[in-house]
Amino acid sequence: MSKDQFKTRLQIAKNKLSRKNQKNNGKNSSSIGAAFKLSTELVAAVAVGTIIGFILDNTFGTKPWLIIIFFFVGVIAGIINVVRSAKNMQN
Amino acid sequence: MAANPMTQFEVYRIGPEIKIGAFDISFTNASLFMVVSSFAILLIFNLGSKKNSLLPNKLQLLAELSYTFVSKMINDTAGSKARPYFAFIFSLFMFVLFCNMFGMIPYTFTVTSHIIVTFMLAAFIFIGVTVIGFMKHGLGYLKLFVPSGVPAILLPLIVIIEIISYLSRPISLSVRLFANMMAGHTMMKVFGGFVISLGIVGGWLPLSFSVALTGLEILVAFLQAYVFAILTCIYLNDALNLHH
Repeated sequence: MSKDQFKTRLQIAKNKLSRKNQKNNGKNSSSIGAAFKLSTELVAAVAVGTIIGFILDNTFGTKPWLIIIFFFVGVIAGIINVVRSAKNMQN
Repeated sequence: MAANPMTQFEVYRIGPEIKIGAFDISFTNASLFMVVSSFAILLIFNLGSKKNSLLPNKLQLLAELSYTFVSKMINDTAGSKARPYFAFIFSLFMFVLFCNMFGMIPYTFTVTSHIIVTFMLAAFIFIGVTVIGFMKHGLGYLKLFVPSGVPAILLPLIVIIEIISYLSRPISLSVRLFANMMAGHTMMKVFGGFVISLGIVGGWLPLSFSVALTGLEILVAFLQAYVFAILTCIYLNDALNLHH
């Protein structure tokens, strides 16, 4: 096969590929990945908040107040995380 | 008879017991599969990059495709500043992908279905990204916790919330990978158990489920490796280009 022939074949293949890519634009695997991302974001922030509250409670001896406060702060942080990453996805 | 679907996650020792002080560092089946997947990656990329022909063979195609895939992913999410970290993200992605994929072969052990493995990876990324952030911006990196345009009364609360959401990154990163892998493999085992217990009469329905689940699990194995790598890129982007 000569080099010219190869180049035209490569061009045809590239054109086909780009057309195909345009077709499934928007529903590629990255959008499913983004959906997985949201689910754990909320839970992790709540867990971290509760753990921080637990540690602070043990060091200051203020059971059970700080764990309650930090649990709710963690919930807020989780919701903010989810909203923020959802906003990032839209851009 | 492995009726318990959780026995597949059991870690046991291979070879002699090695102890350093109070730590048991014996070679286990988990270590074996980490070594196997690392060597598989080395083998594929060494053979794939041996001769750079214009018309690539399958191995070279695989190596080149994964290279451009990761390179494009880094460029899209973290920009050109993240180029120096390409090698790290590429090996991270390949390691997680190969561990996940090796777990799909029957009778193998899925390394990433253990929280300690994924958490160590995530903790390493977290510490590395934090160090990079402080190196690039000095103490100005702490501005990440103080968003602009917040009234002074709310500021202490916002800072606490920001710190919690920053600390939750390694946990959400590791729990996502671990939970997906473990749930999928447990589910496959449970449906496999149904096939045996329902026998030749009713076993066909769970068998077809098992086949469908295998396809889904291969998708999830790829997807979780992808998400792991892309989130590393996003965290790296936050550290490199400070804007909040």
